[in-house]
Amino acid sequence: MSVASGTKPSGADGGPVLEARGVRKVFRTFERVPGLRGILKNFVAREHVDIAALDGVDLRVERGESVGLIGANGAGKTTLVKILAGIVPASSGEARLLGRDSFDLRDAEKRRLALVMGQKSQLWWDLPPIDSFRLLKEIYGVSDADFAERLARFASMLEVEDRLKIQLRQLSLGQRMKMEIIGAFLHSPEVVFLDEPTIGLDLISRETIRRFLVGLSEQRAVTFVLTSHDLEDIEETCRRIVVLDQGAVAFDGGLTDLSQRVTGKRAVEVHVHPNARVDEEALVAELSRHGAELAGRSAGSLTVIVSAERLAELVPRLFAMLDVKDLSVERQPLERLIREIYRRGIDAAGGGEG
Amino acid sequence: MTAAALRAPTLLLRAVAYEFRKRIQFRAGFFVREVLNGTVEPLVMLFVYTALYGSAAAAAGEGVGTEPVSLGGWTYPEIIQYVAGLVVVRKLIFHSRALDLATEIFEGRVTKYLVMPFRFFVLHQGRFLQFTLLQLAVAALVWCIGYAAAPAYWLVPVSVAATLQAGVLVLMGSYCCFLIFFILNALAFWLDVVWSLLVMAWFVIGFSGGALVPVSQMPAAFYGVLSLGFPYWMITAPIELLMGRLGTGDFLLGAGLVAGQLVALDLLRRWVWRRGLARYVGAGM
Repeated sequence: MSVASGTKPSGADGGPVLEARGVRKVFRTFERVPGLRGILKNFVAREHVDIAALDGVDLRVERGESVGLIGANGAGKTTLVKILAGIVPASSGEARLLGRDSFDLRDAEKRRLALVMGQKSQLWWDLPPIDSFRLLKEIYGVSDADFAERLARFASMLEVEDRLKIQLRQLSLGQRMKMEIIGAFLHSPEVVFLDEPTIGLDLISRETIRRFLVGLSEQRAVTFVLTSHDLEDIEETCRRIVVLDQGAVAFDGGLTDLSQRVTGKRAVEVHVHPNARVDEEALVAELSRHGAELAGRSAGSLTVIVSAERLAELVPRLFAMLDVKDLSVERQPLERLIREIYRRGIDAAGGGEG
Repeated sequence: MTAAALRAPTLLLRAVAYEFRKRIQFRAGFFVREVLNGTVEPLVMLFVYTALYGSAAAAAGEGVGTEPVSLGGWTYPEIIQYVAGLVVVRKLIFHSRALDLATEIFEGRVTKYLVMPFRFFVLHQGRFLQFTLLQLAVAALVWCIGYAAAPAYWLVPVSVAATLQAGVLVLMGSYCCFLIFFILNALAFWLDVVWSLLVMAWFVIGFSGGALVPVSQMPAAFYGVLSLGFPYWMITAPIELLMGRLGTGDFLLGAGLVAGQLVALDLLRRWVWRRGLARYVGAGM
């Protein structure tokens, strides 16, 4: 299921902005045999192995969608971004951006595209951001008036007006990333790929960047594809989530759908006296009568997962059965659900498409 | 249409300015890389040639520089002028350390350019142009200092036309060097020994052009072969034009030969770049 939020025309022919059909990507490497004999063997005759980073990915993104691409390390999310953005070719299958083969984009399509890499600077390391922005202005053919207006607006939104003339290498990580984002948006792109844009940033910088992205998404129906290990980034900026697992799509659905599953559950943290005796068998039986499960146990605490509707009936039973010192109720973290998806697949994590 | 046509030269100029800022941001680095570059080898040549001609003069019972002892058609005063010309010419030749493309490929910094609507090569052309403009000024300064210090030995061009012809040949050859170093850097898509290849190529180009020994002083067979390559027309031939040993006919022949090699190298550069991109994995992203 996908959440199509925009109503304006999409790609070149009104089709999807991004499309992947059966995309596979295989990287060829060779196995390094350990030891001296192995080194000599590697030197003379190498045994090549093919590693499939993506294994038949299908994806369709419409104009104005904000898609969060998540997955464990090595799941293939960055490879998919590289293929969709036209940086590397697919081994097989078809990847299209704005109606055209991603690996054969013309300047006309590239002008509508932007890429922000959290771990690689888009801007020129040795120059102050303002110089890089001027170079980007020439590359993208932005008019003087648009350039001045956007630069002033974005710098103000991201609170870096007084840092534009300082050499990039002398800025803090958060300031650099804000500059990267300004650089990416100066030409007013329609499709933006953001690969770990908040990696290593403090809470305030992360929130500022998220606010900026959400604001632009709402104002201009920009299509975002965001990869991040920080699920708060995804929750706050994306309405659709695609989970990749071992090079394949494990879940593709709306954030609201996923959130309902998440918000429909509560994590009850029960603190008990460390020496208190807990009849675990009876407790598990009682929990199951209320549709709950014991998710974690330590000497002084228990974690119970229960649906929101049955929380009220469960809590008095917990007080009755346990020597409760303290009790807190929280929404089940998204991380937990995602972890379940990685571990067992979406069906086991709560049913759904994928 | 007009805006698009204007964008390319504007971008090139912006790239030149950007490269210039990069080069001058560290003063010591600028002095060592841009000003001192290419001055050591001619000094070594001067030392070696003084010893050689001294030995030859001693064998002939004459003093160094007082009699016209000739080795391979070059007398000692001519060789001194050649070395003086070499100091100036070497300043204008794009050198092997002037590009950092291989590092950009290794570290995945090329990725950002691949989604931008322009020819990535323009930035490198900007680097070439910036290098040439800056080195023209440095070369002029070096020539003035040399002439002021030793007017009797320094190379004074025989004519303005010879100076222009020599300049054209040096710059065309320098662009060939630029293309070769770009191609070698682009091999970083496949190899991790680019630095070694660059060092080797720099030596071969220098030697076959006459950076150590004038090509016309080499045995006839070597001269016959090497005079077909652009390095000869980039180093030895321009200096001989400045000295009046070669004329306009030679210039035209050389310009034709170098132009052909320049076109061939550019085609090779495009082919290698396209093949390399198909192998690119965007490391580090």
